[in-house]
Amino acid sequence: MEIIIEEISKGHKLLGRHKFSKTSITIGRGYQSDIIISDPHVCAEHLNFAYDGEHWLVSDADTINGSFIENSKSVIKQHIVKSGDIISLGKSQIRVFFPDHPVEASTTFSPFENLIDIARHPISLVFNIALFAVITGFLFYLNHGTEVSFTQLFVPTISMMLMFALWPAVISIISHLTKHDARITSQLGISFVFFNLMWVSDVIQRFVQFNVSSQWPLMWLVSAIPIALAFCLFWFNLSIGFHTSERRRLIISAVLTGLLFGGNALIELSKKPEFSTRPKYDATLMTPMFSITPSTSVDEFLEDSAELFENARKEIDEE
Amino acid sequence: MKGIIALLLIATSSICNATEQAEAIFKQLAPSLYQIRLIDKASGEKSSIGSGFQITSDGLIATNYHVISGYARHPSKYKIEYLDNKGNKGALELKSVEVINDLALVKREVTREMPFFEISDTTPTKGEELFSLGNPHDLGMIVVPGTYNGLKKESFNDRIHFTGSVNSGMSGGPVVNAQTQVVGINVATSGNQIGFLVPHDKLLSLFAAYKVDEKISIEQQMLDQLTKNQEKLMSTILANEWQLKQLGESLIPTVDVPFIRCWGDSNADKADALILAAVAHCTLEENTYLSSHFFTGILEMEFRYMQAKELSDTKFYTLYEQRIKRAGPANEANKEDVTEYQCQHDIVMPAHQGMKNKAVFCTRAYKDFPGLFDILYLAASIDKNDQALLSHFTVAGVTQNSAMAFSKKFMESVTWK
Repeated sequence: MEIIIEEISKGHKLLGRHKFSKTSITIGRGYQSDIIISDPHVCAEHLNFAYDGEHWLVSDADTINGSFIENSKSVIKQHIVKSGDIISLGKSQIRVFFPDHPVEASTTFSPFENLIDIARHPISLVFNIALFAVITGFLFYLNHGTEVSFTQLFVPTISMMLMFALWPAVISIISHLTKHDARITSQLGISFVFFNLMWVSDVIQRFVQFNVSSQWPLMWLVSAIPIALAFCLFWFNLSIGFHTSERRRLIISAVLTGLLFGGNALIELSKKPEFSTRPKYDATLMTPMFSITPSTSVDEFLEDSAELFENARKEIDEE
Repeated sequence: MKGIIALLLIATSSICNATEQAEAIFKQLAPSLYQIRLIDKASGEKSSIGSGFQITSDGLIATNYHVISGYARHPSKYKIEYLDNKGNKGALELKSVEVINDLALVKREVTREMPFFEISDTTPTKGEELFSLGNPHDLGMIVVPGTYNGLKKESFNDRIHFTGSVNSGMSGGPVVNAQTQVVGINVATSGNQIGFLVPHDKLLSLFAAYKVDEKISIEQQMLDQLTKNQEKLMSTILANEWQLKQLGESLIPTVDVPFIRCWGDSNADKADALILAAVAHCTLEENTYLSSHFFTGILEMEFRYMQAKELSDTKFYTLYEQRIKRAGPANEANKEDVTEYQCQHDIVMPAHQGMKNKAVFCTRAYKDFPGLFDILYLAASIDKNDQALLSHFTVAGVTQNSAMAFSKKFMESVTWK
C-alpha cells in the first residue's frame, strides 16, 4: 500500500514530500536511508516503516534521542500508523498520510481575486500610481503660499510616492522571506488603489466637517472611513502575500490597523501639553460650491454656544 | 546784555525755587513714605518691590495692586513688608484691593499716631506742577517734579497724563501738588517723560468702600470689581451706534468710542502676493492686570479682507483655511486661572442675509472668579469664490450675558457691501 511522508517544519509548514510504493522505508541521517534528514539530533538509522499486509507499523531504531508521536512522551515501538500522524525525531518532524486521506473542498476564486488581478494589471497599476502622484503634487501646489514651478512640485511628489511604495515593497520582501510568492505588482497595485481611496475619504471627511455643525452626532462614522480602509488594505496585503486562515488574516489586519491608528493617537497624546491656552476647533474651509447645508441664524448659533458656558462651569465644579 | 542777565537770573531762580520746593516736600513727607516689598517665603528674598504712602494716622498705606498682586493671588507663598525712611522693616496686612484702577490698601502696626498724606479734594489744573515720590529700581526714595497734563483721552478708566519720569519701583508712590496733597498715584510709564497716574478720586472711593465694609474677602472684591467694570464697558460699547466702514468689498463695524483704537495694514505693495489682503485691527488700549501671567479686560476685533489674484478658488480657499487654523487668545492666562477653551462651530447666516459664514465660538471660564469668561470668536465668509472676509474678536473677563449680547451685535454687523 502506498504511503506519503512529508517533512515539515516546527510550524507544520511543508518542507518536502515523498511518496513510496515499497513495503519498507527507512528514515535517518545516513545516506542509505530512503529519506535523509540532516538534523544532528537524528541518528544515521532512526525510524523504520514496515507494511505487514494490513497496517503500516513504525518503530524507533533504539536511537539516542528517540522518536515520538506528537504530544506523546513514549518512544515509538511497533506503532500502527494512522493517516495524519505527526512524528518527531530529533528536532525535526514528519507527517504521514495514506492515499485515501480526505482533503478539504476546493475554494472558488473570490471576487477579491478578480480585483487583485485588475489592480496588478500594468495599465491600472500605472494609472493608480500616476493618479496618486497627481493628487500629491496638487496638494503641494495648494498648500504653497507663493507661486510654484513644476520642478518645485516634482521632487516632493516623487519622494512622497517612493515613501508610500515602501509599504507594499516591505510586505513583498517579508512574504518572499517566508517562502511565499513576493507578488510585488499585486501588492503595489492594491496598495495604491487604497492610497487613492484614502484621498477620497479625506475629501469626504472634509466635506462633512465643512458642512455640519459641531453638534452633528454622526461625525465618528465619517472618521471611521479611513480606519475601515486601512483594515481592508492590510487584509488584501495579507491575502496576496501569505497563505493563512481567514481568521488569522482578520486578526492580523485588525492588529495592524490598531497599531497604525492607536500608535498615531498615542503619539498625539504624548505630544499634547497638559494644558493648552489655544482653542481647538474645526477650521475646515471649502469653496462655496461644496457648501450644501442650510445655515443657522445668529440666535440659534448663540443658543448652541450657551452650552459651552455650562460645560466650562461644570469643569470648574468638578475640580 | 542786561536783559539777558535778567532772564538768566529769573530762570535760575525758578529752577532753584522748584528744587527747594521739592526738597522741602520730600523732607516733610518722608516719614509717611514706604518701600513695599513682596517677600517670597521659601527663599526669604524679595520678589517684587514698589512704593506706598500712609493715608491714615493708624497705619493704612496705599499702593498699587500690581505691587502686591502676588500676595493677593497666592497668600501662602508670599508675605508683604514695608521699609520706612529710617530703614525699619515691618509686616503689612492686605486690607483691600481695586484691580481696575490698580490700587491696594495695606496696613502696618502702629504704636502711636503717625503723620500721613492728605488726599486732595480738587483736581489739578493743566500745567500745574506736581511732585512724584517713590523708590525707583530700589535706589532709595526720590522726588520727581513734573506737570499735570489732564486725563488720557483714550482710556476707558481714567488715567492722569503726567509729564515726568515715572520709573519701575515708583509704582504705588504718591504724586502731590505744591500743598503736599495727593492728587494721583504712580502706576505706569510710556518711556521718555510720559507717566500715568491713577487719579486721587479712585483712592478716595476705595478708602470709602473699605471704611463701610472691611470684611469682604479679597477675591470677592476682585470679582465684584471685574464684573462691574465689564458691565460698564459692555453697556457703553453696546449702547454706541456702530458705524459700518468699508474694507475691500465688505462692510465692517467700528465702535466710535475714544478708548477703542483701530490700526490698519495691507499687502498692496507686494506685487508677487497671490492674495491681496487688507487688515483692520481694533483694540481696547488697556487691560486689567491680575497677576504676572493673568490679564483680563481686553477687547480686540480684527477683520481681514482677502481677494484672490489670478488664483484658482480651491487654492484660494486652501490658503484661506491656513489663515484661520491657529487663532489664539489675546490675553495671557494660565492653568490655575482658566479652563481650557471649549469650542463649537456652524454655518451661520445673519438676519440681513448679507454674508454666509463658517463661525467658531470658543469660551473658557475663570476658576477663581465664577461667572466670568473669555470669548474667542472667528468667522470665515464662505459665499464668494475669490473674496473672503475673516472677522474675529476676543473679549476677556465678561459675563455670559455680555458675551452673548456683544457676539450678537458683532455677528449681525459684518456683511458684504
